[in-house]
Amino acid sequence: MEFKTSNGRIEIDPSRDGNSFTNEGMVLHTGENLWLEIEGRKHKAVATKVGDVWWVHVLGHTLQFEVVEAGASSADDEGGLTAPMPGKILEVHVTEGQSVASGDILMVMEAMKMEHKIVASSDGKVESIHFKEGDQVPQGAELLTLSE
Amino acid sequence: MLKRTLVANRGEIACRILRACREAGIEGVAIYAENDSGTLFTELADIAVQLEGEGLAETYLNQQQILQIALETGCDSVHPGFGFLSERADFAQAVMDSGLTWIGPSPEAITKMGDKMTARITMKEAGVPVIPGEEVTGGLEEVLQIAPSVGYPLLLKATAGGGGKGMRAVHKQEDLESEARAAMREALNAFGDDRIYVERLLTGSRHIEIQVLADKYGKTIHLGERECSIQRRHQKVFEESPSVALDAELREAMGEAACDAARAVAYEGAGTVEFLVTPKGEFFFLEMNTRIQVEHPVTEMVTGVDLVREQLRIAGGEAMSCGPLNMRGHAIEVRLYAEDPSNNFLPAIGVLKKFIAPTGPGVRLDTGVREGDAVTPDYDPMLAKLIVWAPSREEALQRMGRALDEFVVLGCTTNVRFLRELCTNRDVVDGWTTTDMIDRLWPDGWSPDQSGKILDAGLLIAAACESTNHGKTVTSSVGGSVIPSPFSTISRRYP
Repeated sequence: MEFKTSNGRIEIDPSRDGNSFTNEGMVLHTGENLWLEIEGRKHKAVATKVGDVWWVHVLGHTLQFEVVEAGASSADDEGGLTAPMPGKILEVHVTEGQSVASGDILMVMEAMKMEHKIVASSDGKVESIHFKEGDQVPQGAELLTLSE
Repeated sequence: MLKRTLVANRGEIACRILRACREAGIEGVAIYAENDSGTLFTELADIAVQLEGEGLAETYLNQQQILQIALETGCDSVHPGFGFLSERADFAQAVMDSGLTWIGPSPEAITKMGDKMTARITMKEAGVPVIPGEEVTGGLEEVLQIAPSVGYPLLLKATAGGGGKGMRAVHKQEDLESEARAAMREALNAFGDDRIYVERLLTGSRHIEIQVLADKYGKTIHLGERECSIQRRHQKVFEESPSVALDAELREAMGEAACDAARAVAYEGAGTVEFLVTPKGEFFFLEMNTRIQVEHPVTEMVTGVDLVREQLRIAGGEAMSCGPLNMRGHAIEVRLYAEDPSNNFLPAIGVLKKFIAPTGPGVRLDTGVREGDAVTPDYDPMLAKLIVWAPSREEALQRMGRALDEFVVLGCTTNVRFLRELCTNRDVVDGWTTTDMIDRLWPDGWSPDQSGKILDAGLLIAAACESTNHGKTVTSSVGGSVIPSPFSTISRRYP
């Protein structure tokens, strides 16, 4: 089984015995409640699925794992710069065709009354700009496209 | 005595006030925007009225509509909570002009303290020490002109400000103009007023504030301090009382200065005087918040005083009920935010698919959300305040750590893990809390260590849950055969 995390893709293939799953010396007992057993100590876990993502709370941490459908391509998180929050574009610092360096401020947007800078993550050229000053943008909207 | 109070707020603080009203035998009236219908605070009110319109300006900031509802529902008073209209002198005045009681200080006191420059001048005159800096009456030009004489690093602050909005630290001359423009723009958006002023940035200092209470009978007291040094984006995330930095002598000196500040504006009700305390033990007036504050529960836990109840009592014309204070133990509050601490504390949204709050001895949760609620970008991303009390600071940190471990929020990213790690952070444990500590400790940003065992555990759970369709399977006892109570079938046991 394959999952996508913030640090890339991970595969796991736990062994199953009835409602219990084992991997890396840990045993998870499933049922109405989730119990994780590590070296004879039990830890309660809570998990729920939102869309394709499993949200897991265990050992005081909250983790997210996106289910990857078998055969899906892995090139889906490259390229565009997206709005981290719904908000309003305050400033556009670049024009189409302009070359930018990693770390350059491309746009400034406002969300929840705070200003956020949209910064180039790599060197490149501004291929297209999708919003102008004053535009409202939804979360996840691609703001502009950079090419290598 | 007040009989019916309109609470001009929403969420967590509306819940807090409506509960206090119920305890005091006062009927509570809630107002809510359409997207808040069905949320907890509307249920805690005796009467709940939906506001017409969309967006803050048409709803929670709509003075005229709110006042009209207060009159139509037969209220005799208005409690503004914090944020929204709480520090709007014109609203306080409008409430009073309508013949209602404003639960807060006079419009004059709000005006004097709300305008940060006037406050500085008033405090100087009252003999309360203020931060070295310059008041600015002109616009950007004057800011640029004056800044070099104050010296770097400096802080640009919104004259009408609060809550970290319109506040910018400037470390070198080159950044001044762009930061000043950003601060003015933020200030204009947040407060409708783009004036800013310049203050020296006191690095390595602590943010310590004094809670005050004043009634109509000339009694003004302080209820000790809250240390709120641990901040991100100039917003507090971790507050405690008492502060390790204060001894009895400094506490008394600051307490007296706070009472002087309150008396200088003929203050009535609950208020907070904020100070910066330098490593040398000097203290400077920052500002006075003329309302109940987010972190008021910390003071309530160590003093035993119900601050909101006292507000209601004082506004109703009674004397404050608290006599000599007997502070005991240690209290800590953390603010649970819908935000991503590993991404510069950027606000997050989502649906609270799981929201399991901690309980147990010494644990208090002030929240306005419940499992299933949606977290939207429409309002402040604070989900809850978790407060603990314990006999000592060490035990309070341990209790907070335990409580945060129990806190499960799934479906929306929160800062719960960040708060958890603060509880065992060396500097926090040792009491080396300063306003710049988050930047100092995590200059490249904070991120949770989810490698090794944590990742393996999470992965195993995700895989097992995906395989078993966890949470989707209908168990036989739900909706199926209900186990009959032995009491209702008692006669059948002896056929």
